[in-house]
Amino acid sequence: MPTETKDQILDLVDRTLSGHKFSIAKLISLFENTKPELIEIKNQIIDYLKQKSSHRGFFVGITGTPGVGKSTLTGKLALKVLEVSSESKVAILAIDPSSEISGGALLGDRTRVRLPIYEERIYFRSQANDRELGGLSKHTFSVSRVLFYLFDWIFIETVGIGQSEIEIQHIADTILLVLQPLTGDQIQFMKAGIMEIPNAFVINKWDQEKEAKKTYYTLKSTLSFVRPEMEKLPIFRVSAQKGLGLEEVLEYLIEEKSKKTNFRLEEKEAYYFEKWVRTQYGLKGLEILKNFGGASLFIKETGSFDLALQKFSKIEYVIQYP
Amino acid sequence: MGNKERKRHVLYDENGNPTKDKPWIFRTYAGHTNVWESNKLYRGNLSRGQTGLSIAFDLPTQCGYSSDHPLARPEIGKVGVPINSLDDFHILFDGIPIEEMNTSMTINATSMWLLALYIALAKERGVEVSKLQGTTQNDIVKEYLARGTYIFPPEPSFRLISEMYEYCIVHLPKWNPSNISSYHLQEAGATPVQELAYSLANAIGLLDLIKERGKVSEEQFEMIVGRISFFVNAGIRFIEEMCKMRAFVELWDEITLKRYNVKNPKYRLFRYGVQVNSLGLTEKQPENNAWRILIEALGVTLSRKARCRALQLPAWNEALSLPRPWDQQWSLRLQQILAYETDLLEYPDIFDGSYVIESKVNELKEEAQKEIQKILDMGGIRVALETGYIKSQLVRSMSERMSKINSGEIIVVGVNKWTDGLPSPLQAGDGGIFKVDPESAKRTLEALEKTKKNRNPKKVREALEYLKECARNGENLMPASIECALARVTTGEWADALREIFGEYRPPTGIEGQRLFLEDAKVTNIRNRVEDFTKQKGHRPRIVVGKPGLDGHSNGAEMIAVAARHCGFDVIYSGIRLTPQEIVHSAIEEHADILGLSIMSGSHLELVEQVMEELKKHHAFSEIPVVVGGIIPQKDFDKLYEMGVKRIFTPSDYHLIEIMEKIMDIIEESQKEKVLI
Repeated sequence: MPTETKDQILDLVDRTLSGHKFSIAKLISLFENTKPELIEIKNQIIDYLKQKSSHRGFFVGITGTPGVGKSTLTGKLALKVLEVSSESKVAILAIDPSSEISGGALLGDRTRVRLPIYEERIYFRSQANDRELGGLSKHTFSVSRVLFYLFDWIFIETVGIGQSEIEIQHIADTILLVLQPLTGDQIQFMKAGIMEIPNAFVINKWDQEKEAKKTYYTLKSTLSFVRPEMEKLPIFRVSAQKGLGLEEVLEYLIEEKSKKTNFRLEEKEAYYFEKWVRTQYGLKGLEILKNFGGASLFIKETGSFDLALQKFSKIEYVIQYP
Repeated sequence: MGNKERKRHVLYDENGNPTKDKPWIFRTYAGHTNVWESNKLYRGNLSRGQTGLSIAFDLPTQCGYSSDHPLARPEIGKVGVPINSLDDFHILFDGIPIEEMNTSMTINATSMWLLALYIALAKERGVEVSKLQGTTQNDIVKEYLARGTYIFPPEPSFRLISEMYEYCIVHLPKWNPSNISSYHLQEAGATPVQELAYSLANAIGLLDLIKERGKVSEEQFEMIVGRISFFVNAGIRFIEEMCKMRAFVELWDEITLKRYNVKNPKYRLFRYGVQVNSLGLTEKQPENNAWRILIEALGVTLSRKARCRALQLPAWNEALSLPRPWDQQWSLRLQQILAYETDLLEYPDIFDGSYVIESKVNELKEEAQKEIQKILDMGGIRVALETGYIKSQLVRSMSERMSKINSGEIIVVGVNKWTDGLPSPLQAGDGGIFKVDPESAKRTLEALEKTKKNRNPKKVREALEYLKECARNGENLMPASIECALARVTTGEWADALREIFGEYRPPTGIEGQRLFLEDAKVTNIRNRVEDFTKQKGHRPRIVVGKPGLDGHSNGAEMIAVAARHCGFDVIYSGIRLTPQEIVHSAIEEHADILGLSIMSGSHLELVEQVMEELKKHHAFSEIPVVVGGIIPQKDFDKLYEMGVKRIFTPSDYHLIEIMEKIMDIIEESQKEKVLI
């Protein structure tokens, strides 16, 4: 059983609201922990945050294969956000791949993003994907629930392994697919999966490569094949390293943020609740959930995401599954 | 004369008379504390029969910071002499006739600056600049890969080196503007083949660039090829090392002939100096190192055709601390005995005609050629650096080596075998270690202040502006640097001016995708402990590995990072030269379960103190345990424990998995009170 009292925990949450980085770090760790006995306290924390916090985060997904410069771009965009809106608080969550053998990971994105360390408005956290497919970690959603109340902008950088990186669409409000100048063949190859999820494209390293223009046009023509309406999606040309072309990307993001009306997590919660049920109880679990009218309804009726998890665990106990 | 009676075992001179070779240059890599102390040291060494100077600079000087920079303060005079301005050079060389000296400077990113100071010194002394002889190490490749005192990105760094060649070939014809160093590659784990391939590819990259720039005539280019010299490592496998040297000689001759069409055989000679291996020197039973050094010296002197031009030997106690003057004298005596007491210098090459040696040399050559071709196909040395290819090859070799020592496949006497021994009387008395007097830095800082006060600020400003102007418009930076030196610009100011134009660089760490070559019960056991922890805490144990300060010897940190990941940890390692504040910041944001610091520069007390202060500032001091690894003398242990360090690892802790077990112990212990978070 937890030894920290509820007051101690809420103290910690207060400190996170005043921007104390180590407290934020601890709160994130708490939400990475999926032990059932923590459900209750998480529920209380979220409740508390809902009342106390004035922040509601906008999630930007940054995806693309390794080496295209996602980290540099993310770092530069985060700093740009602060330039144009000095009141904002920004979080970066960077996902790295874990070793298939040992399970350990090298969390290396921090190396590539150099942020001013005494800048209290930016928070950077790494997460290992822990051999999870889909480009995110098992805990990304759970952690994003607290980030949502602590920050105004949350950049999530995916692992970048390739086509199956589509999990980000269930968390991000808008997704940037970062490309670097490459040959047309590769774009063709990427048609499926990852090419279908972005809301905008960023061609990085625009300054250096002769291939860049070719990439731009190949991409444009490819998009119409993927889905005709995708032809209209913006394609930005930047050099993250040299800080070129970032204003346009930021303008786009700010506009997207202003278009967003619903700063709530309900839909995402429903998706992740269903996913959790599937992981825990398989098809049978999903069947039970369906009998309750589906994830959204189940969460609504139990009162919160955490309470829904708790309640569903007990149903499982009742029917003695498996 | 009696040509018909020539004996094959006798060495003859040009006139056919029996002769004997001249010995190589004896060097001792030296310099510490401040310019006054180092001057005394050099004069002492010269009076004892040393024939050249080899100057060690402190880390701030190497990284382009003046002594009064916050990053510099803990490092002043630690691993070499601090040089801030021309005034310092006047004191350093006081009473030493520079026109007669062969001066070797171990300096890289700031080479141009130190050479400019040396030229300015000659000018103010009225010495003819063209008489200056010596070497600036000036090899940026191995700085990115192994040694860590780089400043600028590859492109401007290579430009500085090329410009020094272009300048020296006209004004200082006897100066070696750079010295391709495979030495540090071996220290970073390179195999003989990798040493051959990467250093030759490095030389090719440099010569190709000079050729491409087109600033020198064909005749000058040929002379430049003749000025390329190498700095090589000699390890304990001394037969193979001897063969490596022969392979170097042959490959270099082939490359200079075929690739650069150098007609004069004199310019095709593979000229090299040696420092024997420090990597293999052990902290345990350190007296054994004396034998290791002797054997390693044989590898580079036995074969006449591949004999080094200059030799510097480490001291027996290098794995413990900086050597004392007596330790250096002892190493110098070894060279003197080898050159003057033995008959080594009386014979022609004693390996000519040995089919064993020939076959081994050929094998090394073939493999090296393949690797060189690979790098050339990739686009040359710069591409191989920027993509991290070479670095990851080296980290891989090092992991293999460590794995083999851990499994006992490589035997290290006194470390993983025959570990029981009587205590060494050599370590009695002052413990056999040398420590820089912390007060001595004051004198350096005072001198710097004095220089700044007495100089003409207008001249300083103008000199720096001129330097920046040349940096921008692509003009050779040597003349502007000499102007700066004469105007009493400081080391930090010179480097800052160029940082402004060129930017700073951070190379790949090379540890991505690496693993150990160990899969045994110990590994399984610790992985199980990690899994248990993960179930309990909801995340894998997270370690932040940090290298605070200016010291760039990153092997230790890299191996810990690789080992931790191998055991199932999540690892945050951001490379070298970070401030204590940056490292703590990573540990805070990542909510690290442990913070591991690697410090080899001797500044552990200052740096650990700064780390602890920063942790306190974030209210994390009692929650993030700190361990320290590096060359740390026993007598500092208590002070570090008092500061709050949980555990100290030294070179005698060579078993990576055992280190990880101890780290896991500390993590589990510190988690006991923390049930929830």
